[in-house]
Amino acid sequence: MDNNALIRRIIRSKETYLLLLPGVAWFVIFAYIPMYGLTLAFKTYKASLGIFGSPWVGFENFKYVFRDPAFLESVWRTLWINLGRIVFQFPVPIILALLLNELRFQRFKKTVQTIFTFPHFLSWIVVSSVLINFLDMQGMVNGIIRMFGGDPVNFLGNTSIFVPLLYITDNWKNAGWTMIIYLAAISSIDTEQYESAQLDGATRLQTMWYITLPSIMNTIVVMLILSVGNLMTAGFDQIFNISNAATAKAGEILDIYIYRITFQSAADFSFSTAVSLFRSIINFALLLLADRICKMLGSEGLFPPIRRKSRR
Amino acid sequence: MAEAKTNGTHPNLVRRRRSMHNRIEILDVVLVVILTVLALLIVIPFINVLTISFVTQQEYLKSSILLFPTEVTLENYKMMFADGRIWTGYRTTALLLAIGVPLNLFLTTSMAYGLSRPDYPFKRFFIFFVVLTMLFNGGIVPMYLLMKQLHLPNPLWSIVLVYGINAFYLIIMMNYFQNLPLALSESAKLDGAGEWTILFRIILPLSTPIMATMTLFYAVDRWNEWFNAMIFIRKSDLVVLQLALRSIVIDSQISQQLNASNVQAQQFTEGMKMASVIVSMLPIMCVFPLLQRHFVKGMLVGAIKA
Repeated sequence: MDNNALIRRIIRSKETYLLLLPGVAWFVIFAYIPMYGLTLAFKTYKASLGIFGSPWVGFENFKYVFRDPAFLESVWRTLWINLGRIVFQFPVPIILALLLNELRFQRFKKTVQTIFTFPHFLSWIVVSSVLINFLDMQGMVNGIIRMFGGDPVNFLGNTSIFVPLLYITDNWKNAGWTMIIYLAAISSIDTEQYESAQLDGATRLQTMWYITLPSIMNTIVVMLILSVGNLMTAGFDQIFNISNAATAKAGEILDIYIYRITFQSAADFSFSTAVSLFRSIINFALLLLADRICKMLGSEGLFPPIRRKSRR
Repeated sequence: MAEAKTNGTHPNLVRRRRSMHNRIEILDVVLVVILTVLALLIVIPFINVLTISFVTQQEYLKSSILLFPTEVTLENYKMMFADGRIWTGYRTTALLLAIGVPLNLFLTTSMAYGLSRPDYPFKRFFIFFVVLTMLFNGGIVPMYLLMKQLHLPNPLWSIVLVYGINAFYLIIMMNYFQNLPLALSESAKLDGAGEWTILFRIILPLSTPIMATMTLFYAVDRWNEWFNAMIFIRKSDLVVLQLALRSIVIDSQISQQLNASNVQAQQFTEGMKMASVIVSMLPIMCVFPLLQRHFVKGMLVGAIKA
């Protein structure tokens, strides 16, 4: 296209650009300029010189980062915990959705749905407060255990059950919300399939396994790949609020490590930025990988909105 | 052939389905039992919190299994108000919502509408521009340093501005606007209206469902916000609600884990802590039925692409 026509089109669309201006300005200032700040990873930060003026040191910071055992531990711990989430948390909303879908008592179904989705809208601070109270040594669960003659269990201060505790509490908070996504996918299944299955004499369990489940495979795959994309980043809010002095070590994932070295010890901003850069790059790579796998499997990918010409 | 159909279903099927509805199978019973147990697992901890907030110290010490107070007391709530942190938190968070949510809506709506307009130069660039921020960000340190450099008059502004646009919500809104008939804006343009006029006079009045959904989403996000506040605000009279709650409940619990023997010696703070939790949850509980209705619509409009 020749430049004159392009410039004319730009001028014609000037009002549209005006619409974009506030948003773009925000993104530039609060999303892209901080990205420039990542150059601090290759510098030694001198407060008086600011980010721009601080001297370059190449990969010095990274040498120190990779020599910090706490850093390496936090990376492995993050991967380990989040891979575990895929095993112990990912299937739960799917199962719940399948079960709830089979329910035929409408009012009960709505009530259960409401209850399940409620904790998702609370912050982890509120949820931790509720669950800490419930699971505490003086809490209700231990009260019931004592009532049956058992010894109280230290649910919250025990490093060996800390990770399972994470899985259970995250399911408690969020499984209901994710379940809605699957329920929505189920609701779009063609009812004709159910009708013909019924005519063929299939039991409800059989329809669940052979029709419902395969029909939402697309959604399941996308959600699974999203989970993989979040492998490095999931869990900060939860772990920050539900861990305590006794379990802090067991829960130090990468994000918590970054928080600790940035704000809780003598702040070395260049070191911290180097870790952040590492995290951002790995996260970026994982998300791209996830998107690519999605597309290979025939889905639209994780970021569908880049539309070509026509829509439905 | 068309006359033989009842509502599009074969008469035999209708008869069959009706008979299936009348039988209650074992599967139904099992489902109800399982789902009830799970629902109770969620409800009971909340009831426990509610009860403790209304209970006296004696009753609390008597039994750990508290689901109903035998004598209701408002002492804990009084203690909570006397402490003052929750009240400060409410004030700060309300301010945050009042300034932050309109900003969120303005930025998101204008940009979403702009991105939804049909082909213009660099449109795909701008979309990529947004999507890139979902994939890659600078982390806390650059943001922290940036805020310090901006020398904002009030630290509250840092929190307001840090969360300006949620790219995910932006995309949902963009899809919504894209699905509106083009004729709406086209005919307005013929009458000489500019894009902003079209947005405010024509599009927005027709978009109340998505606006309501977004308002709720951003409001809930703001209400629950705490991490940015923790980093950017040092003054205790500007603490946001969630952090006030955290200082009351969790920080003291952390030290309790190390001093387990001192539990008896302390003031009866458990009741006050639970009162704080209830009060922090109240607005979400009130708004929740609305959330239920809107989020399903909102999710279906743009988010689910499977």
